[in-house]
Amino acid sequence: MTQYVLAVVLGLLFAFGTFLVLRRDVVRVVWGVIIMGQAANVYLVTMGGISPEAVAPIVHGSGEATTDPLVQALVLTAIVIGFGTTAFALVLTYRVYEEHGTLDLDDVSTSELRGSLVADGGTAARGRDGATDEALDESGPDGSTDGGVTDG
Amino acid sequence: MARTVVVAPMLVALGAAIATLLTRRFDRAKVGLSLAGGIAYVVAVAALFAEVGTEGILTYQLSGWGAPFGITLVADALSAFMLALAAIVSLPALVFAVRYVGEQGQQVSFHPVFHFMMVGVTGAFLTGDVFNLFVWFEVMLMSSYVLVVFYGGGPHTRAGIRYVFLNLAGSAFMLVAIGGLYATVGTLNMADIARRLGDPVTYGVDPAPVLGLAAILLAVFALKAGLVPFQFWVPGAYRAAPAPVSAVLAGVVKKVGVYAIVRLYFTVFGVGTVPGGLGLPGLDGASFLNFFGPVLFVMAVASIGVGGVVAVARDDVDELLAYSSISQVGFIVLPLAVGATVPAVRDLAIAATLVYSLNHAVAKGLLFLTSGAIYEAVGSIDLRDLGGIVEESPTLAGGFFVGGLALVGIPPLSGFFGKMLVFDATARAGADLALGAALVGAVLTIAYFSRAWNRGFWGEPSEAVAEARPSGVQLSVVITLGLVVVAIGVGFDPVFEAASRPSNSRR
Repeated sequence: MTQYVLAVVLGLLFAFGTFLVLRRDVVRVVWGVIIMGQAANVYLVTMGGISPEAVAPIVHGSGEATTDPLVQALVLTAIVIGFGTTAFALVLTYRVYEEHGTLDLDDVSTSELRGSLVADGGTAARGRDGATDEALDESGPDGSTDGGVTDG
Repeated sequence: MARTVVVAPMLVALGAAIATLLTRRFDRAKVGLSLAGGIAYVVAVAALFAEVGTEGILTYQLSGWGAPFGITLVADALSAFMLALAAIVSLPALVFAVRYVGEQGQQVSFHPVFHFMMVGVTGAFLTGDVFNLFVWFEVMLMSSYVLVVFYGGGPHTRAGIRYVFLNLAGSAFMLVAIGGLYATVGTLNMADIARRLGDPVTYGVDPAPVLGLAAILLAVFALKAGLVPFQFWVPGAYRAAPAPVSAVLAGVVKKVGVYAIVRLYFTVFGVGTVPGGLGLPGLDGASFLNFFGPVLFVMAVASIGVGGVVAVARDDVDELLAYSSISQVGFIVLPLAVGATVPAVRDLAIAATLVYSLNHAVAKGLLFLTSGAIYEAVGSIDLRDLGGIVEESPTLAGGFFVGGLALVGIPPLSGFFGKMLVFDATARAGADLALGAALVGAVLTIAYFSRAWNRGFWGEPSEAVAEARPSGVQLSVVITLGLVVVAIGVGFDPVFEAASRPSNSRR
């Protein structure tokens, strides 16, 4: 019974994650990726085999049968990695909002198009050129430090 | 048998990352430590390479836990070759970066993140266990995310979104495939998987689901390698990252995907067979490789075509190089596809893939560094602003020329033998279609490089180029890497020997 419930839940999680990843809002995409990652973690735990008698290998020496401890160890690692990548994705999202003033992915991509057109006209938008100029400026006397990189 | 030399490259890179993190407030000490770490990495890899050359396969059990439960590091000829490739590209890129990345960037995080990326790369080349491959991928990717959005501007964050989210989705899929592998095969140790797949009846393994899971993994590796149809992140990421980072991303990080394909599909999943045939339309044979051969073939040919055709029309040098590297990865994977389908040329095909990987790593590294030096000197790498670089800076022009010719495949440069082996393997296999695709790709390579050369380097110096002041350090790095490209071509014999060792020891 547990297997079927888990299978359905996993299917729903993956479906929901995929649905969110395909949205235009960056925050939803982040959520979608997180949900997919978590679904993968749950899936990984179930791959150790589920039996009603066995317990998770948490309490030492309880004498009960435990489920496969290997997958639990793997999932711990995967959770830590997922935590790190989620934090990075959220910071990146904030940075995207700062740079583009929007979290709509369509607007983010068209804003660059407009940027390059403007750059051709002479007023340099912050393109690749603009940003690398900034990197050059940093070694220059005026040392513009408008935070090209977050400190950390 | 525990051999410390196996972990040495990883420890050196990790030590360099931590040391530069601790000395982040002291600029000179940090740069010095970082460079020392880069040099020590080359030394450690050279020691490991020599040791593997004399002793064969070396293993290291982390904390003395035995296989298959402990974490195993394995250094064989294939790992050693890839590590040597990583070392050859990473040190020049690091030296270049000291003069290229702005002072603030260096103060903040460049050096630790660069070395952490090398830790991930090294771990991925050395691990003997599929789950740890995932972990090292993540270490490498996490660092590369930071380096791609290093400048933090509009296009960088935009390229970063694409790169990060594609790879996060890829990671989730990789976990799913790994979980499935564990459930069906009962182990994650690569050697153990190969053993159990080779004798499925004794171990009670059902090969059919393993084939499907391996196919999911292939998609993940193709994403890392930037093969069509997973190439969307490549141009943005390579343009956004600082030039020395692009050199490492294209030269080394991409090769991790290629390495994973060679390692897992030719030494692990390659032994698997589906009793009663694959049961897929148009595919004969029962071996897993009979399935992966055509799949890799389609990806390789599509990459060669898409990358080459788009590169011809690019005006931005970095973008041209990025599309070119999509096309070149196609060349790297094409012999694998042929070798998977025709067992008679498999050894030659793997050697061709390795030689071409090395050629692409050094040549593309050289080109990205040249492009970075041009950008720093001229202030633009748009072909419309460039022109006549030959007159103003023959060294920079020479770097581009050597790198371009190496990718085209002119003797005596490294690329000649790479291309020759690719053609040799496909011709011997009688794969006319693959041969045709490789020929078209070669013509496209000539087309986009000669176009860039004509527009950017010949003719009258443009206004921007006339005022160019290239940095001496950057020029010497370009010269050094250019000499490496020539040296690999001239002294090709030991390179070929090293590249054919993995396939010889496979038996």
